[in-house]
Amino acid sequence: MALEDTRRLGCGRSIDQIWAGMDQPPTSHEEDCELCQAAKARMQKIKEATVALRESDLHNPEMTLPAERTNSIMALARAEARRSKRLVLRGTEYGTVEISEQALSSLIRLAAAAIPGIHSRRCRIEVQSDAEMGSTHLTINLRVATASGIDIPATVEGLRQKINKAIPAGVGIDAGTVNITVEDLYDV
Amino acid sequence: MSEQNLQGSLINSELIASLAARTALETPGVLRLEPTIKGFLASLGPAALANFHISGSQDGSYRHDGVVARINDGTATVHLDIATDIAYTALSVAESVQERVRENICHTGLNPGPVHVHILTIEASPGSIPR
Repeated sequence: MALEDTRRLGCGRSIDQIWAGMDQPPTSHEEDCELCQAAKARMQKIKEATVALRESDLHNPEMTLPAERTNSIMALARAEARRSKRLVLRGTEYGTVEISEQALSSLIRLAAAAIPGIHSRRCRIEVQSDAEMGSTHLTINLRVATASGIDIPATVEGLRQKINKAIPAGVGIDAGTVNITVEDLYDV
Repeated sequence: MSEQNLQGSLINSELIASLAARTALETPGVLRLEPTIKGFLASLGPAALANFHISGSQDGSYRHDGVVARINDGTATVHLDIATDIAYTALSVAESVQERVRENICHTGLNPGPVHVHILTIEASPGSIPR
């Protein structure tokens, strides 16, 4: 409580509040409060110095992040995103093999991209694993948009066959159940 | 009998992690190990790591980019996060990594425990032809 009090002016407003409103026009309280006006005037120089330093950093080549560092950060960000949902492919006494949902869905999107007239959208995948049988069953739920004027059933069947080949080839398990929902049409 | 001293080295979790990482990277179809926050901070220097704390690192495990290794009662357990080449079948690559890492752990005199492999991404390598 005592620490909190040291951050407040006599009028009851906190210094942090005043600092946060430095760029804003004065509030009705500040228009009448001498304490707030004095504090704001004193902090104005610090504010100007802060802005000047920030601007200086922006144009200082030494403060610029090297491209390789930016790439490392982006690689890390992508890896963290991929770690979010994992699907167990195989589990034995020698250890488990898991795959990220993103790795699987990118294979499916790649398959969809090869079919003319199909745009893949949301893709969710579920796995049912039977440890005793050592089997894995996938359920793929893919939503797509198709070009207007195409034969939708034939095109979607072609996509299903493409996915049925891509998953065993790329991952090493059967594609399982492939549910495809055409949720939109787009003009060519 | 030679009187030359033989150099000994301690088999610890850091060494097992290094061995597992090298073995994984030498396995055909593995493109790279995926980075972790701690690995990235380590690349910035010791100061960046000074205030970084991972609760799991207190159990004797060693973590570096894409690999965690732990030794418990003479058994080494490894976890690897890998990126695989689209020209290979990911599950076969992962199982090959498990087999090779376990075999190399045997050579250290430790018992190989589970080797968990997580395929984070499947990508085309510069030299591969996507299927």
